[in-house]
Amino acid sequence: MPGLIILAILAIAAVFFSLSRARALNVSGGQLSNLHSRPFYHGLYSLLWVAIIGLGVFLTVLFLGSNLINMLLLGEAREAFPDGSTIEYQLLMNDARAIASGGIPSRVDTLREALAGKYATLENIYAMSLLILPAAAALLTGAVTLRQVDVNWRARNRAERVIRFILLGAAVIAVLTTIGIVLSLIFETLNFFNNIGWRVDKYLFGTRWSPLSGVHDGSMDADKVGAIPLFAGTFLITIIAMLVAVPVGLFAAIYLSDYASPKVRAWAKPMLEILAGVPTVVYGFFAAITVAPFIRRTGESLGLSVASESALAAGVVMGIMIIPFISSLSDDVINAVPQSLRDGSYGLGATKAETIRQVVLPAALPGIVSAVLLGISRAVGETMIVVMAAGQGANLTLNPLEAVTTVTVQIVMLITGDTEASTAAGPAFTLGFTLFCITLVLNVIALRVVRKYRELYD
Amino acid sequence: MTNMRMTEQDLGVRENKIEARGVDVFYADTHAIKAVDVDILDNTVTSFIGPSGCGKSTFLRCLNRMNDTIPICRVTGDIRMDGNDIYDRSIDPVQLRARVGMVFQKPNPFPKSIYDNVAYGPRIHGLVRDKAELDEVVEKSLRKASIWEEAKDRLDQPGTGLSGGQQQRLCIARAIATAPEVLLMDEPCSALDPIATAKIEELIDDLRTSFSVVIVTHSMQQAARVSQKTAFFHLGNLVEYGDTQKIFTNPEDQRTQDYITGRFG
Amino acid sequence: MVDMATLSAHHGSQASRARLRKRKMAELRLKAYGIAAILVAGIALLTLMSSVVGQATRAMTESYITLPVTLSAEDLDPDGTGDPSVIGKANFGGFVKDVLKEVFPTVTGRSARRELYDLPSSGAAFELREQVMSDPSLIGQTMDMTFLASDVTDLYLKGDFGKLRPQPHSGDLTVVLADDGETAEIRTNSNDFANALAEVKEELLDQAVLLRRQARLQNTGAEVFAARATRTEYADAKADLEAQSASRIVERDRLAGLAEDLERRAGEPDGTEALSDNSPTVIIRVGDGWAKMTEIGMTGGKADVVLPIGAADAIPPGDWKLYLHDLPETARKISDQQIIWIEALNERGQIKSVFNTRFFSAGDSREPELAGIWGAAVGSFWTMLVTFGLAFPIGVLAAIYLEEFAPKNRLTDFVEVNINNLAAVPSIVFGLLGLAVFLGTFGVPRSSPLAGGIVLALMTLPTIIIASRAAIRAVPPSIRDAALGLGASRLQTSFHHVLPLAMPGILTGTIIGMAQALGETAPLIMIGMVAFIVDIPTGITDSATVLPVQVFRWSDFPERAFEARTAAAICVLLLFLVIMNALAVFLRKRFERRW
Ligand SMILES: Nc1ncnc2c1ncn2[C@@H]1O[C@H](COP(=O)(O)OP(=O)(O)OP(=O)(O)O)[C@@H](O)[C@H]1O
Ligand SMILES: [Mg+2]
Repeated sequence: MPGLIILAILAIAAVFFSLSRARALNVSGGQLSNLHSRPFYHGLYSLLWVAIIGLGVFLTVLFLGSNLINMLLLGEAREAFPDGSTIEYQLLMNDARAIASGGIPSRVDTLREALAGKYATLENIYAMSLLILPAAAALLTGAVTLRQVDVNWRARNRAERVIRFILLGAAVIAVLTTIGIVLSLIFETLNFFNNIGWRVDKYLFGTRWSPLSGVHDGSMDADKVGAIPLFAGTFLITIIAMLVAVPVGLFAAIYLSDYASPKVRAWAKPMLEILAGVPTVVYGFFAAITVAPFIRRTGESLGLSVASESALAAGVVMGIMIIPFISSLSDDVINAVPQSLRDGSYGLGATKAETIRQVVLPAALPGIVSAVLLGISRAVGETMIVVMAAGQGANLTLNPLEAVTTVTVQIVMLITGDTEASTAAGPAFTLGFTLFCITLVLNVIALRVVRKYRELYD
Repeated sequence: MTNMRMTEQDLGVRENKIEARGVDVFYADTHAIKAVDVDILDNTVTSFIGPSGCGKSTFLRCLNRMNDTIPICRVTGDIRMDGNDIYDRSIDPVQLRARVGMVFQKPNPFPKSIYDNVAYGPRIHGLVRDKAELDEVVEKSLRKASIWEEAKDRLDQPGTGLSGGQQQRLCIARAIATAPEVLLMDEPCSALDPIATAKIEELIDDLRTSFSVVIVTHSMQQAARVSQKTAFFHLGNLVEYGDTQKIFTNPEDQRTQDYITGRFG
Repeated sequence: MVDMATLSAHHGSQASRARLRKRKMAELRLKAYGIAAILVAGIALLTLMSSVVGQATRAMTESYITLPVTLSAEDLDPDGTGDPSVIGKANFGGFVKDVLKEVFPTVTGRSARRELYDLPSSGAAFELREQVMSDPSLIGQTMDMTFLASDVTDLYLKGDFGKLRPQPHSGDLTVVLADDGETAEIRTNSNDFANALAEVKEELLDQAVLLRRQARLQNTGAEVFAARATRTEYADAKADLEAQSASRIVERDRLAGLAEDLERRAGEPDGTEALSDNSPTVIIRVGDGWAKMTEIGMTGGKADVVLPIGAADAIPPGDWKLYLHDLPETARKISDQQIIWIEALNERGQIKSVFNTRFFSAGDSREPELAGIWGAAVGSFWTMLVTFGLAFPIGVLAAIYLEEFAPKNRLTDFVEVNINNLAAVPSIVFGLLGLAVFLGTFGVPRSSPLAGGIVLALMTLPTIIIASRAAIRAVPPSIRDAALGLGASRLQTSFHHVLPLAMPGILTGTIIGMAQALGETAPLIMIGMVAFIVDIPTGITDSATVLPVQVFRWSDFPERAFEARTAAAICVLLLFLVIMNALAVFLRKRFERRW
């Protein structure tokens, strides 16, 4: 249905395109040079405005409409049934909707019937306005733009201005996304902090994490929202991952840029690219099915007790995932070190290894540091590997053979768990916000360092 | 000028330090050096001149096997230093380059402190026993490259922070500190002002007492001023090689004549 | 005083040569580290791929059981209407069970029957129903019909629960049936059961080792409590600790006694052993008759008859068979009886294995043998459609703006930094954004490809913008100058001249971005695309799941058969990714232009 309406609006726009174009031809009296703008631009100008206004009205009605209906009905319900809880109203609305649409309500009574009737009428009005308002707006706009067509009408400049605004709008979407992320995370975070009586210290430094146990009326026990076990678990897995990824990635990059023959490079580079293209859920499967049992068996044959969801397994696989990331970024910066520096070193009788260790790596260090920072940021934000291979219990330990949980695992558990969404959202979004801040800081530092570095050698 | 030639005579007989016979160099399919024979004498400054792209740098880089670092580059022929074939399998290019130092056309100080730049060679080759000796070598080298006065108060600052001319002198100091027997200099003065150039020329003359020096230059005057031997390259061929004085006053080949009188190049 | 000339002499000296050797070693070490790093990465990739592909091949076949069926009218269509809607209401589940009972009439008892009914898939009845409904004329006919095997049957046939190993034997077999025909006395005139008995005894020893280990633990516990008891100063605590210690000693002795008993039994060269659920399974087969040994000695013992066996005297060794299964019944998901039925059916050629097309055409299911990836694949398609429809135009337009029109000022810088940062924001945060803004505020349907597509589009946007900007920047200014010089406006120049030239680069970047989006899981979980959805989605607002999320869901299921299907789903996902990346590489190679 909405798809059809969009198509209809686009069709109207197309119609006005040809109308305006035809009219422009007409007013030119067959002499195109009379026109300020070519007929095509008259058409384009109409088309753009009709589409923008039509789609704009459509989206506005679509967005406002359902919210408006909800608000009206809720008002009605509150009048008839003054002091119920949020959940009761929710139930009431759901039932009314179910009755109206022929579904199965939890209960039927007069209030529900009345509300259902009201709902049906409003829904009708809504459906009608969704159809009529955008079409009317589109037609009206079309008529206006059609009338503007004239020999001296600067349709091309106008149309180009509109297009430039559209371009600007597209560029702004990236900024809007960031704003959307920050706002939605902050909103729930503040809510959550409010629910724990602003004991932010308990969240940041507490060592017990079970936010949903014993929740009532939305207020949470500040003693049970200590995120330290999650931070520690994230930290542990990240460290393990970096212990795997940094040496392997860095040495691979050094080898590929300074030692490997073109032939080796021709297969090693694509190999690393494949490793980079493997979806994280596949790494998660690999960690859970192959690596974790392997580590467990190896540990047991050495007489160690290894949890079946050990931090080691998740960390190692995450490290493998990050290897290509580190190696390709390092490869870039190592290659960017000018050959003249290498020549200078060779010219003094240095070996390749000395040149790399004492000249190339120090020169590339900022780039490598930022690659490592970006790698850490990835490891911290990585979700699927840990969801599938790390533990779920908030276990405060630094032993890599035990199960630990991470920030991302807890977000997934909270959001996909059975607890009511509005309750679970608080801690989940707060963790998300924490994650966002950590990765943001890492990214900003890393990008700064890289930019400085580029300026140095470009 | 004449004085200089006097001293040259004083030094008496000199031996061949490096002998090159029938050297050909190819970059993939480009034949960059064609059957070149040259002798580099001990305690002598030899200059390579010739129009741009004629292969001066390429030939210079053959002398310490810097061409090995370019994968597509192939060198054939016979180059001997003190009678030993430097392209022999038993010769290690790393060791060779310690004995045949190089200063590049473009200054390329390492992103380290001035001190560490100069100390780099002595350190990797283990030339000194302790810090005091290293300090001494660094100071001597910087003095020889006549940059000590400018650098002595900022030894711990990055070498990349110096001006282009200072950087070039730093690179020369760096090469001297490694104590090579032959010093190859590829247009060492192209980035320098006349005063610094004069200083470097003085330095080169000074170095002659302990090293043999090969210098590539585009300046006829410079070649005439500093060198005792001159080789003129053209399109990969060694056109003429002999005493500098002779080349500049009485060349045998028409092309040399044309080049030094500025008719092409 | 350092003399430079003497320093020179150092080169080539003995000392410098020794030093050089060391330096060369360091050189080799670094090179070795490099090679090791490449090898580590290569081995990781190889292990990953082989473990996935190895598992996946096991999902590529499915098993069918062929059974003789009489589609009797009184069961399926008593009134003879021939009307599919009436037939559809018949009890096909019960019908399939009746078929099985007819094939194995001797199987009685509730639990045995239930095990029997587990041989075919629970989906077999549905398929029979579909088949009969689409062709009511089948009613009344007798024919062989194939039924999809259950996951456990299928896994057994693929060797997941071990195999029956035929044992060498040389004696003549005598079977003496008990009166009810359900148990039998088995004898041979040779030590044919010696092997089996040895295995059973080995098993006893293994158990004894376990018991000994437990006994040791109890002993340690007792010592610890005893030690604490001597240290404590409080009388009641002391008594308590001593009691603890004593009870542990009792338990220790009991366990040790059990172990000793087992060891004694294992040590005796012959004698008989009763077989429990924890012992290896020993099976006898005579023609169509099958029996499972419950007690064995060297020359025979007692057996339960599973499929009717005739009493017989001196059956020559060629006419009977002895099997051993070394996994005890408790260690596998399939019972001895089920194994015997399957083997019997297999023997009669009533089981076949075919290429698993269902996996590629079915939607999700809780039954592994019925589950397929088509639903997830279609969900991925719709989601990618939305992602592409949003991210491509927005990304390209934004890139054009930033490269060709944006004034170089602080604001543009900010947008730039913003885009770079957005590219590194964890994907799960985008999921939270989708949850709060698109599901919460804008009311986009939960679990729908629309919601998923929007979230993935925002995630992919930075990749596309960055790639597009690079491609646009690579178009030389001379082209712009030429167009502007002919009187084209800047907009015309951008759209008519620059954009077409940059398009291959833009498309390459877009495909790579889309490939990332196709493999993305976490944000989609946030917006509810993990729900169990059987139906194939028909549009962008239906509930749906996508391939990577399907992988995640299946990997979470306990049924063993899902493991292979998860791997197979991964292979399909990887295949799509390979195709997309190959396309990107092709585009890059084909249209690569050096200006
Ligand atoms: N790395 C390389 N790869 C391919 N060809 C090269 C390379 N270096 C030099 N050449 C080619 O070899 C020839 C000689 O170059 P070379 O650098 O030796 O000239 P030159 O005499 O030093 O010139 P200039 O005075 O400009 O420095 C030139 O034709 C050049 O194009
Ligand atoms: Mg040169």
